[in-house]
Amino acid sequence: MAYERKRNKGESPKLDMTPMIDVVFQLLIFFVVTIKQEDILSKLSAARPAPDSNANPSKQPDLITIIVAPQGFVFNGRLVSKDELDRKVERYSKLSKTAMIVIKCTADSPHGLLVQSLDICSKHGMTNLSIFSI
Amino acid sequence: MHKKKLRSTDQCEIDMTPMIDVVFQLIIFFVVTLKMTSDKNEDIFLEDGKNGVTLTQDNMPPTTLEIEVGRRGRISIHNATMSKWQLSQILKARVNRNGNEFPVLIRGDRKTPHENVREVMDICTGVGIWKLSFVAIQEHKAGK
Repeated sequence: MAYERKRNKGESPKLDMTPMIDVVFQLLIFFVVTIKQEDILSKLSAARPAPDSNANPSKQPDLITIIVAPQGFVFNGRLVSKDELDRKVERYSKLSKTAMIVIKCTADSPHGLLVQSLDICSKHGMTNLSIFSI
Repeated sequence: MHKKKLRSTDQCEIDMTPMIDVVFQLIIFFVVTLKMTSDKNEDIFLEDGKNGVTLTQDNMPPTTLEIEVGRRGRISIHNATMSKWQLSQILKARVNRNGNEFPVLIRGDRKTPHENVREVMDICTGVGIWKLSFVAIQEHKAGK
């Protein structure tokens, strides 16, 4: 008697799980394959002065000028590489973090170089940046 | 004898419940995180900028405006192309509504000539937005 009851209760409500597990695994594989990781983005801020205020920005005493040209960066009238610019900005950043950096971009310079120069300034904690177009 | 055999099959059966629980959790996770359509210009290749401020949901308020500038100077917002005039109208409407303090992000391709980015910056300064930010990649996660 006891054996009979146990057997009935154990078997009659049992569902066949196999098709459900198949479908669920299909879905899981689909989502694992289609998911795309996003890049982690950062933002580099700079000021853009009004068109009329760029009449004479060189009047300010502590002013560092970086020119962004298609070939690279021009610092103090000399073409420098990214690493050289990094070292020069580092040296200036030790003197003053609040010194104004003016980044002058030529019309045909790629946007990537401007972002690189902003990245270097941000690396050394320089926050007073402004962008001019020449 | 018969009874003994039944017990031995009982022991072999694996309990599926925890596995199904875990698998459902995973499926729900992937369904929720899946974005089918993207609302940004996927053709833009950003420059690396490891030292910038990380963009998170917290420092991007809903008023943030992201302007995309493609490699050939195509201006778009959420991948909807627009002319310079349209962009200036949108910016004017935004400034009237929110003031000129809302964050403006410029998402420029690394090879876009500066003159195209300049046009966007000039439109921004034209409506009184002085502080602009450029988007860069801090850490590559997606494959190239």
